[in-house]
Amino acid sequence: MKFSYNWIRELVPGLEADPKGLMKLITMKTAECEGVEEYAPWLAAVCVAEVLSVEPIEGSHNVKAIVNAGPEYGARTVVCGAPNCRAGLLTAYVPPGITVSGGKHVRTAKIAGVESEGMLASGDELGINRDHAGILELSGAKPGDPVPDCAPDAVIEVDNKSLTHRPDLWGHHGMAREVSAITGIALKDPVDMGLIPATAGAWHVDIRDFELCPRYSALVFDNVKVGPSPLWLQERLEAVGLNPISNVVDVTNYIMAELAQPMHAFDADWLQGDTIIVRRAAEGEAFQALNGESYTLDPSNLVIADARGAVALAGVIGGAGSAINEGTTRIVLESANFKAANIRRTSSSQKLRTDASMRFEKAQDPANTVRALARAVALFQQVCPGIRVVGGLVDSFQAPAAPAPIQLPMEWLVRKLGRPIEAAEVRRILESLEFGVAEPRPGVFAVSVPTWRATKDITIKDDLLEEVGRMVGYANVPPVAPLQPVRRPWVNEERLFHHAVREQCAAQGFTETYNYSFISEEMARRFGLDPDAHIRVANPISSEQGLMRLSLLPGIHRNLVDNARFRGEFRLFELGNEIHPRAAGALPDEVPHLMAAVHTKGDGRAALLELKRLAECLLPGCEVRPAEARQFEHPARAAAVSWRGTELGRIFELHPSLVESGRGSVLDVDLGAVFRLGPQVKKYTPLRRFPSSEFDLSVVTGLRELCGDMQARILQAAGAACERVAFLYSYQGAPLPEDRQSLSFRVTVSASDHTLSNDELTGIRGGIIASLKAAGYELRG
Amino acid sequence: MLDSTLSELESRGVSLIDGAADAEALEAARVEFLGRKGALALIGKDMGKLAPEERAQAGKLLNAVKQNLEARYESRKAGFDLAALNSRLAAEWLDLTMPAPGTRPGALHPLTQIQRELEELFTSLGFAIVDGPEVETEWYNFDALNIPPTHPARDAQDTFWLSDGHLLRTHTSPVQVRAMEKFGAPLRIIAPGRVFRNEEVDASHEHTFYQLEGMMVDRDVSVAHMLYFMKSLLAAIFKRDVTVRLRPGFFPFVEPGFELDIQCLICGGTGCPVCKQSGWVELLPCGLVHPNVLRSGGIDPDQWGGFAFGLGLTRLVMMRYAIDDIRHLAAGDLRFLEQF
Repeated sequence: MKFSYNWIRELVPGLEADPKGLMKLITMKTAECEGVEEYAPWLAAVCVAEVLSVEPIEGSHNVKAIVNAGPEYGARTVVCGAPNCRAGLLTAYVPPGITVSGGKHVRTAKIAGVESEGMLASGDELGINRDHAGILELSGAKPGDPVPDCAPDAVIEVDNKSLTHRPDLWGHHGMAREVSAITGIALKDPVDMGLIPATAGAWHVDIRDFELCPRYSALVFDNVKVGPSPLWLQERLEAVGLNPISNVVDVTNYIMAELAQPMHAFDADWLQGDTIIVRRAAEGEAFQALNGESYTLDPSNLVIADARGAVALAGVIGGAGSAINEGTTRIVLESANFKAANIRRTSSSQKLRTDASMRFEKAQDPANTVRALARAVALFQQVCPGIRVVGGLVDSFQAPAAPAPIQLPMEWLVRKLGRPIEAAEVRRILESLEFGVAEPRPGVFAVSVPTWRATKDITIKDDLLEEVGRMVGYANVPPVAPLQPVRRPWVNEERLFHHAVREQCAAQGFTETYNYSFISEEMARRFGLDPDAHIRVANPISSEQGLMRLSLLPGIHRNLVDNARFRGEFRLFELGNEIHPRAAGALPDEVPHLMAAVHTKGDGRAALLELKRLAECLLPGCEVRPAEARQFEHPARAAAVSWRGTELGRIFELHPSLVESGRGSVLDVDLGAVFRLGPQVKKYTPLRRFPSSEFDLSVVTGLRELCGDMQARILQAAGAACERVAFLYSYQGAPLPEDRQSLSFRVTVSASDHTLSNDELTGIRGGIIASLKAAGYELRG
Repeated sequence: MLDSTLSELESRGVSLIDGAADAEALEAARVEFLGRKGALALIGKDMGKLAPEERAQAGKLLNAVKQNLEARYESRKAGFDLAALNSRLAAEWLDLTMPAPGTRPGALHPLTQIQRELEELFTSLGFAIVDGPEVETEWYNFDALNIPPTHPARDAQDTFWLSDGHLLRTHTSPVQVRAMEKFGAPLRIIAPGRVFRNEEVDASHEHTFYQLEGMMVDRDVSVAHMLYFMKSLLAAIFKRDVTVRLRPGFFPFVEPGFELDIQCLICGGTGCPVCKQSGWVELLPCGLVHPNVLRSGGIDPDQWGGFAFGLGLTRLVMMRYAIDDIRHLAAGDLRFLEQF
């Protein structure tokens, strides 16, 4: 929302703060300002000039004009291309050295061979309106005067989001009330209610749905002459971002920007019958709007209709036929109130946001409709000479029950604010914002809320705390530590566990990445996942991000491919949630997973073992066993990871078709499952007091027999004396046959109560060998 | 006779030991004179044949020669040993500008790092760290937070809706209500986590980002108390004095609501593109918990009050490291991630 500094100053006469200062006051006490910009600063240098003579320039569409630019600039020669440049015309002169609208810099220069000392300007060039068909035509001024009623302004842009709860701040008068409360300078009310004739209305209103339209007020005018507005009005509208159209329309927009009350003028002669009907649209009802578009309505939309049909989409936009046009002589001026939620729904379902709908969405004040009409009478008299009000106020409403005053105990207020404040100060602040303050009991105020704050903004005492707090200024509330008993906070073990996992991964050389929770259907299929098994995003940003990930793999795979452009060997990991659908109605299961990956250029064996080591660091004693490969896995390099009897992870190499840059190996661990197993219980075993002995064994096996299996077999065969069996190395080649390998292990044995004798050692060793031979294994020397 | 033999032996030994060119020659001399079967040992053996009175005299003489040769040998040996050690050490020169082998530790994501930092801070202030689901119900994300069905925030243009009727949380605030339900009052929690907004991604906008929610509920919680915690928070984050200002801000789940701005750290408040020339950066929306939100969490607002705040972790990370493009954070580019 744009606020004109000049406009606010008119409503708060005597305001001393400059535009920047005003912006700061508003930001600190009321609403967030996004910035302040000068508006039409060049108007300070532009003056009225009279065209004295005009002569054509040969070979150019421009003319050479001699103008009288007043005492300061005197007679000047300017080259002008405007078709309305004629002797005797009073227009606007821009001296050299001035930059006007659109960054156009005016200087003394030769144009079409003639030296031009400055420029005669159009309304568009001066930022007064959008008319660039010709130079300004002025009257009632003399050369050297400033352009009548136009002046440089400053525009303060307030963030709309910080105004969503404040219907009153969608007009300058509402913001001026804030400024008045902040500065203590009296607020001027631009409305004179006495201007509305106290006679019967000249039109009828039939509200069929008071829920959606709590109030509809109107006035009828005749002897209307449609034409351009005076320049001051046009400039003001331009400054706040509204497009000047005609005097009648401009007045409605002016009042909207001033009082936050959207209005609409109908051409009365076009309306059928003498009754405005406010009703829900029929299913499929067609509506032609004045923006040239046509809309298909349904009963959730409210329309303004005459005897023939819809003439406006209530609170959003007027109809094409009944719009004000050059020939309009009689108007019905609507000033109505509509239910915010319904306007919002209509505006979003019809994809049509207008200045009116934006305001109605914020829950406007039903008491404001008649004030706006009174203001219109005054403005029409100024900008539309000869206009007459026909009859009196047309007004239909169902008065809502006035809300009970809010009880505001001073003791509560002080406690919540956390600093002392005098009751008199609280009263002063509330009254400056036009709240009614009574004190039925000592120390408790009964506060009545003004109508423009009562639609949804202020309903409870906490809302009043905000009013007082912001006006006191939060900079004036010193921070205080609360006096509270010390309590040890609940410990989030799962989160700490996740942090420990991250640290371990980083310690092992893996760098953390964060990937999106979204994946594409194509990605899902690529990794063997059925797109329909995923929860879908109903309104995705793109089809590439339409599914909620059931696996971190698509993201990690992308990380591998992307980083492989810059390096050959790297490690990364992500800790994030898989989103698994559950039974209808239940929130999905968010399963935290760790996925770590290594990209290498080599044969990939080391990478897989590195991931196994990471798994062992995270899950001490975990078991990794070959598993059937899935379609995206290397068919001979996939294994399941089990820990404490539960399978909860996987180590695999990606299928070479997925990683063309090298090899990608992956560890995937279900951290939810790990956490559910609980912390591993630590148990102390007394240290062995007698020395251990070691001997080595080399077993000849088939090429794909598992080292882990052989190790377990030896461990079992060694019996109670065995401390551990450690793998040493494997060997293939002569003298072994081609289809055989030898696996060597070191067996460590001891007894708890004595040192093992040579005979005992030989016995244990012999037992293992016998057991292996019985199972069909040969041993090497 | 023995005298002359010994003295001749001694002088030969001295000349061989002192004149040994290297450790091997020295060792050969030791074996020849001092070895178990060396010249002196042989003489010693023969001495048994001498008369007792002669033997004592000869023994003394032999010992003197032996000590002389041994001392000379030890001294020479030490010299050769030292030279050998020195030459070995000299040969062991190592170029320590060579790269060290092995894998370097990886980096934790800057968002992880900042979360941990803040978790530690708030744990020390007595706050529990709680988690909430990333997929939420409309009730927790909106209704329970006093955001009415007609509020603009509910529009599809801001919220990702899911095929199962749920939504992706648009803020971490739903955790306020979940925590109140779980723990009741009094309560101090923070909830860091991933949130989602349906926005086109560009250098300064992301559809996925991180927030940290905070909430305290107790008997008499005031604006002044909230300010105390916000100040502690900022001091811990920036580890330097930052100038702040608190101004009104509107959020349906707090009343009153505030925006806490810090003076721009890039320009120091004079105005720059980062602060949009205003000199201030919006950092911390906060406020006293709206009574309706306390009610949603099953807490009686007449008995308890609270404050809540929401910190944009993504923005904080970007400010701390002056990161110019928000997209780096989810791009998984190691060249970026390894810098933290």
